[in-house]
Amino acid sequence: MVAFNKVLDGSNGPSGFGVHRHRVVYFVLVGLFILQSGLTYTVSTEAASPAVELNDAAQRGEALYREFNCTACHQFYGLGGHMGPDLTNVTVAAGKGPDFARAVIFHGSGLMPNLAVSKEQADDLVAFLEAVAATGTYPIRSLDLTPWGTYEQMHSDAK
Amino acid sequence: MRSELTPAKGFVISGLLSLLCGALFGVIGSWQHVLPNFVDAIPFVKSRPLHVSLVIAWIFLTAVGGVYHYLPKIVGVPLHSTRLAWLHLAVFIGTGFAVIASYFLGRFGGREYWEFPPALGIPIALSWSLLIYNFFRTANKHKGPWPAYLWMWATGVVFFLITYAEANLYLFPHFTSNMVRELTVQWKAYGALTGSWNLLVYGTAMVVMERSTGNTAIARSKLAYLLFGLGFTNLLFGWAHHIYPVPSALWIRILAYAISMTEWIILARMIHQWRATMEDGKNGSSTLFGRFLFASEVWVFLNLGVALLISIPAINLFAHGTHVIVAHAMGSTIGINTTILFASVFFIGERAHSGPTRAGFWIFNGSLLAFWLCLLGAGIVKGWFTVMTDLPFQKITEKIWPFIAGFAVSGIGLFTGLSLLVWGALKVLLASNNKEEGDAHGTVELDAIPVENRCPSMPEKVMQHQR
Repeated sequence: MVAFNKVLDGSNGPSGFGVHRHRVVYFVLVGLFILQSGLTYTVSTEAASPAVELNDAAQRGEALYREFNCTACHQFYGLGGHMGPDLTNVTVAAGKGPDFARAVIFHGSGLMPNLAVSKEQADDLVAFLEAVAATGTYPIRSLDLTPWGTYEQMHSDAK
Repeated sequence: MRSELTPAKGFVISGLLSLLCGALFGVIGSWQHVLPNFVDAIPFVKSRPLHVSLVIAWIFLTAVGGVYHYLPKIVGVPLHSTRLAWLHLAVFIGTGFAVIASYFLGRFGGREYWEFPPALGIPIALSWSLLIYNFFRTANKHKGPWPAYLWMWATGVVFFLITYAEANLYLFPHFTSNMVRELTVQWKAYGALTGSWNLLVYGTAMVVMERSTGNTAIARSKLAYLLFGLGFTNLLFGWAHHIYPVPSALWIRILAYAISMTEWIILARMIHQWRATMEDGKNGSSTLFGRFLFASEVWVFLNLGVALLISIPAINLFAHGTHVIVAHAMGSTIGINTTILFASVFFIGERAHSGPTRAGFWIFNGSLLAFWLCLLGAGIVKGWFTVMTDLPFQKITEKIWPFIAGFAVSGIGLFTGLSLLVWGALKVLLASNNKEEGDAHGTVELDAIPVENRCPSMPEKVMQHQR
């Protein structure tokens, strides 16, 4: 970083654009990035509802979700693979629910392989899916668009 | 006569082999959407991470190879430590083999795009630290002001390490105990991480343009620094368009929306630049690297257009979670990054190129266009039926099947084109008759490059105003 700082002082900095101004702009941006990161890690993603916090079973389920690489095929809030359905609300969706999820995890279904999990592991995975479902709704089917190119639910679901 | 194998060439050759393997797993993965039991020894849960990790490795290896290759030529001194560069390569490749083995064995543990066990991230971070050290020890000897591409590389190498560390914060319960926080921080890190490797790739593009035109004013103009600043701002704050539907704080998403819209400036500048280039009657057709640079401009234009549209929340509502996002990701990594990196590889290697390599260029670009359009079509149909109807996932999948079949077929064409290009690139890299390999200090006489071989896609007319 010493060398990097040397660049940012006058000798190696860019000419014509104002070395000092350039340095200030660069560090202001980095400072704002640090501030934004701190807020994102803490208050801005704090849950308004305690249901959003994962309990022990759900945290074990989250680890299993990674170990089985479920994200290769499935999504939360539209983020993940496209071979299988989005799982954000699978435990609360009409015609599905925790038992449905548990059965699919145990036996597989269509393209979904049998994961050969234990009953405890299946329970942990379902606990995780229930915790995710408690965070919000996806997909969004509200078409209340604003003049600013946003939509109402984007404003109302903010914690 | 064989050329001397340098760390830079070692990185680039490893990158090319990585691309070939990654593309092969991509073909397998795409056909598994059409024929579920296709190559069932490597199920989709394995083929997808193998494809993604190897293609990302291609981008890193080749971009870093470019930095190791060009940096001494730019600064005018040898690399600070060739031994450290070799060590970097050895650790990176050794870790790469461990990652591949973990996927084949079904040992996951990481998150999307980095699904390997998190312990393997430690040697990746350590080897990257060697690059940072080597980079700054060498770059610090540069006489005079830094051109924009050195700023881009410096920022890219440092911010990659920062954002890679951030991408591993999920190892702390504070992050995984809250899914909203977990998803937000994950995509914050991924957005910035992508931005950091883009800085490495775009910096390389600027170097190739400078060295092929001989116009050193391009990377030292106010406009170049301004565009770097804009890109850096987007890297830092423009990531949240990935998570518009995630119920995090509103300001996070609105800030990203506002920042993303500044990229219209880049788009407007591109159109202006393009018009100037076209008026000059130059389209980069005389050399292979020139063609790749021109192709990268086309892909930047197309992908930036899509990126800007999907950054508008009302449009994102339909595009998010669909193949439109895949088209954007593939268009960026293949269309932009890969074309720029091939331009760099063929500029490093040689200016002459054989018929099969020329054919590879056209097969690659033609197939990629079909591939990209199929993904966009699938995404638009899926987005419409997801938002406007209650159709179940299976029914929507049936509706997009023709697009997915087209995507799988064009993937074979893409693999064929890439194979021809990789073969041609390996041949010229292992030969020695190229100017860019240069003298001991790597300084290349730009005037030695014939005018007809200079990269014409640079906006000389525009840039003359900046001098």
